[in-house]
Amino acid sequence: MTKLLHHLLDEAATRSPDGVAVRCEGASLSWEDLAVRAWGLAGILLDRGVRPRDRVAVFVDKGLRVPVAFYGTMAAGATLVPIDPRSPAGQVSRILRDTGATLLVTEPGKRRTVIEALADCPEVAQVIGIDPGDDLGRAATPWKSVDAEQRDSLPSVRLIERDPCYILHTSGSTGLPKLILHTHFSATSFVDWAVSEYGIKPDDRLSNHSSHHTCFATFDFYAAAAARASTVILTPSEMMMPGSLSELLERERVTIWYSVPTALVQLSLRGGLDYRDLTALRWVLFAGEVFPGKHLQRIMRQIPAARFSHVYGSTEVNVCTYYHLPPVAELRGALPIGRPCSTSSVMVVDDAGAEVPPGTAGELLVRGSTVMSGYWGDPERNTAILVQRPAAGGLTETYFRTGDRVREHDDRNLAFVARADRQVKVRGYRVELEEVESVLLSLPDVEEAAAFTVEDGEGSLAIRAAVVGGGTQDDPAGRRILDDLSSLLPPQALPERIYRVPSMPRTPTGKIDGKALKKQLTEAEDRHGR
Amino acid sequence: MGADEVGSTGGIEVRVREFLEQEIGDRGRSIDRDADLLSGGVLDSMAVVRLASFVGAAFGFQVRPEDFVIENFRSVGAIAAYVVRSRATQGAEDGGVTD
Repeated sequence: MTKLLHHLLDEAATRSPDGVAVRCEGASLSWEDLAVRAWGLAGILLDRGVRPRDRVAVFVDKGLRVPVAFYGTMAAGATLVPIDPRSPAGQVSRILRDTGATLLVTEPGKRRTVIEALADCPEVAQVIGIDPGDDLGRAATPWKSVDAEQRDSLPSVRLIERDPCYILHTSGSTGLPKLILHTHFSATSFVDWAVSEYGIKPDDRLSNHSSHHTCFATFDFYAAAAARASTVILTPSEMMMPGSLSELLERERVTIWYSVPTALVQLSLRGGLDYRDLTALRWVLFAGEVFPGKHLQRIMRQIPAARFSHVYGSTEVNVCTYYHLPPVAELRGALPIGRPCSTSSVMVVDDAGAEVPPGTAGELLVRGSTVMSGYWGDPERNTAILVQRPAAGGLTETYFRTGDRVREHDDRNLAFVARADRQVKVRGYRVELEEVESVLLSLPDVEEAAAFTVEDGEGSLAIRAAVVGGGTQDDPAGRRILDDLSSLLPPQALPERIYRVPSMPRTPTGKIDGKALKKQLTEAEDRHGR
Repeated sequence: MGADEVGSTGGIEVRVREFLEQEIGDRGRSIDRDADLLSGGVLDSMAVVRLASFVGAAFGFQVRPEDFVIENFRSVGAIAAYVVRSRATQGAEDGGVTD
């Protein structure tokens, strides 16, 4: 039978109508509550003329409307385009135009941004979720009509598993956002793997930390639905305050957590974990950037009952490799990214595209059921990133180029070496910026570190770094850090300058936004006439 | 600004608004004392960390890890109340006040 992503909700509502589907700030929706609202919204969308494969954008804050809008859009056969709720009008407008969206689902709190964004989007003919008005310039249907439009059954729309399901966008903080198209098949393939690998059961409660427009939310929402488990949506205020966050984890008895390491570092440093009962937490998954060893070891000791899992992938592939950590006492050296998921086949190649032997570093290529269809509206990038390789029988296979350099270890685990584009040349020497960061992080009190390059004015590059922490009071220029580094790094890898910053700019998933950081720091210098 | 003024809730609120003005511009100066700073998109997580270090430095007490909760930083009014509370308890622990 055809299995589409929103069928997960249909099945959960049939088998556990009263089970808690989603919770946020103490309010919840059962599977049945969620289904009747989502199918009601789907009915409205169909009534407004939405056809299969039309793009329907969703621009709402974190909350109970998120899953209603997501499942409703899919159930109408449309391709869901979730927009980062923190986007300014210009970004909303660009995503609407670039995806060719014809309808927008939003909410009253977004009215001003939506009106500004829609001024440049004549193709968006309808808006759902805000009151009609002359300022809007098009038809609108308020949420109260959506709430009143509850439907018992999924509308009949013909789709196949390889039809588009959603288009996720990257942050685009210093460039154009990439638009990443996944099908129902790639989404459910990832979900099936996750449910099986982490043994997700109906009594599990998954936190939703990341914004719902990211691939992290695919796990938080859909893996929960597949297992009829609950999703606990964390609000921005809860996420900003680690003390409140740890209290919530205790109160809601969250069993599975998935986020970038940063969120866990904050929780470990400022979440008062020593006073909390987090024994319900059984899996902590992290992905997206390197987890500094000292922070990882501390939080593993603070939450001894949980198992930790390092998952690796990008929005383009969901997750393609994973590594379950041993007990903290057995951790040695850098954390591997592990072995391929059952959904994925991987290959490590050199610059010419030839497979390299185990132990040699090269770029990681991935093939598998969780890989995206491609970048929306970007044929050139697709040709460069989704490469065809010859296979037996005169056929070809499509591999995704991750842009990450890895190496296979003797135990067959893959180890991350560096982003291919973070390997830089400084006065002729090859330097991995990740190595500079990892050495900085090994220094006492350095909480976070980021390295980047600037042109040195002599035709080469110079390395600079920014740190959070590191005994800021009596060493404002970072000289002591530089002294410490000089015994740990080769001369070409030494930063010429270290900035102290109170915190790092972040991408929407919470990764350090290196490009934004560099822009902030170097523009501040320009303003001061340097 | 006199010491008495800084010690009062109103004085604390003035200083917090000055900080907010630096962070988010003019609307920081006039922000309502009960307006939600955390969920309303007023401050991002970077600004919250800066706010916490500002509050500790400006009012002479230590912001402890366990203080990072919504109740303490939700609004200008909440921050003022938190400052008053922290100064009283930390002063007591330092031996500044005895029963």
